Amino acid sequence: MDGQLLSETFVELTDTMVAGFDVIDFLHVLTDRSVQLLDVSAAGLLLADPRGELRVVAASSEAARLLELFQLQNDQGPCLDCFRAGRPVAAADLAAEAQRWPRFAAAAQQAGFAAVQALPMRLRDQVIGALNLFRAVPGAFDPADIRIGQALADVATISLLHERSMRHSDTLNEQLQTALNSRVIIEQAKGKLAERLGLDMDQAFSVLRGHARTRNLLLSDVALAFVDGSETLARPGAAQEHPARRDRLPPG
Amino acid sequence: MTGSRPGRVWGLVASQAAGRGGRVSAADVCAAAVAAVEVTGAWLSAARGAEAGHLMRVTDEVGEQLAELHLTLGEGPCLDAAASGGPVLASDLAGGESGRRWPVFAPAARQAGAAAIFAFPLRIGAIRAGVLGLYRERPGPLTAFQLGDALIFADAATLLLLDAQDQAEGDLAAPAGPGGQPADLALRRAEIDQATGMLTEQLGAGIGDAFVRLRAYAYARDLRLTDVARDIVARRLRLHPDPSRDGEA
Repeated sequence: MDGQLLSETFVELTDTMVAGFDVIDFLHVLTDRSVQLLDVSAAGLLLADPRGELRVVAASSEAARLLELFQLQNDQGPCLDCFRAGRPVAAADLAAEAQRWPRFAAAAQQAGFAAVQALPMRLRDQVIGALNLFRAVPGAFDPADIRIGQALADVATISLLHERSMRHSDTLNEQLQTALNSRVIIEQAKGKLAERLGLDMDQAFSVLRGHARTRNLLLSDVALAFVDGSETLARPGAAQEHPARRDRLPPG
Repeated sequence: MTGSRPGRVWGLVASQAAGRGGRVSAADVCAAAVAAVEVTGAWLSAARGAEAGHLMRVTDEVGEQLAELHLTLGEGPCLDAAASGGPVLASDLAGGESGRRWPVFAPAARQAGAAAIFAFPLRIGAIRAGVLGLYRERPGPLTAFQLGDALIFADAATLLLLDAQDQAEGDLAAPAGPGGQPADLALRRAEIDQATGMLTEQLGAGIGDAFVRLRAYAYARDLRLTDVARDIVARRLRLHPDPSRDGEA
């Protein structure tokens, strides 16, 4: 555990929530930081849509995102169990979990993951989602890592309620739907940019995010303006350029 | 936990249309939503671009007045919903929060006969089709179940309005109603959104038109929307501005 990185992360996360704030961007930072801070290879975050479904809203890698989707499609896996029970669910060795989650255990191993820890996102008596940590090697998760992971999940929960006080569930539901729609806008923008510049989806996301950060704009605003055609993402005076991945860099 | 719920909501919309003896339309969404979500009335206003535009459907006179108040006063839950991309749930228009947020609209809406307004933007990401407004003559929040249904009714209205716009422009014969695989759409798989974004470039079209073309392609060939989207994202399939050349490299 890197104590300095941990405290920097919480400073970064709270700063983000005070200043210009984009929930989806924030949750991406949170999954990225989970991977850096904890002894895990990937992280994914699911939120409950009041339509009665869970949705993948952020993932540190495409493999983690696909594995989360796989659970949703097959209605099986530790993240779903965690969400339904409202309690952490752990599997230290997925090779031994073929009975518990036959399809998920196989898919996870195929994706290169050997252990998983799912942590609930709770708001009072309501479970609104789950943060899921995946590891490439089997073995029990460090209890200290689990505590920090849970703290990150709690911060993610709070982030959904940043704008107004949460006197009733209406505020949460409004925020949640706005965040889910932002997720869709970002995916549409990724597609448009990937097609225009011949990038893959991860690269397209990095370009969008890099553009938003260097100009101190909200990711979803940049994505919306790009889809609408009012933002070209071209740099003044520069030909089309593909910035390197900025995910690992602090903002600003 | 997935699948059955959008299917049930679309079934309510379809039986409303059947009772009327017509094709499934946005009007059926309003009528079915009023019954299922247990509100007093509903209205739909269609949008072009970022503006909340003209009134499309309304179930009663109060609903019509509420829609007009938004336009004349320039404030209200529906305009906020259109701007934010999320629903605006004003469960008590007499409450302090509504009064602060809409100092002119809130009292006017109460005078018109509404005690609560729930506004749902008809959006799929950057695609804007309008707003669905629901009102109650008594204050009180939607239950979690009613909210879920209302969101699915809003999804249905979004698809129907997009298709109606498309048909009005004499474009493709786009799918109407449940043929458009709403359950699939409700999962909102990222591939569908990414493919829609890619199609704006391939077709030189706006995001709404690109989405209509994507669905029309899947519908005409009896393919699943997600499968078509996946092929586009994997760059195994391209669509052309001229639909007869779809699929050519």
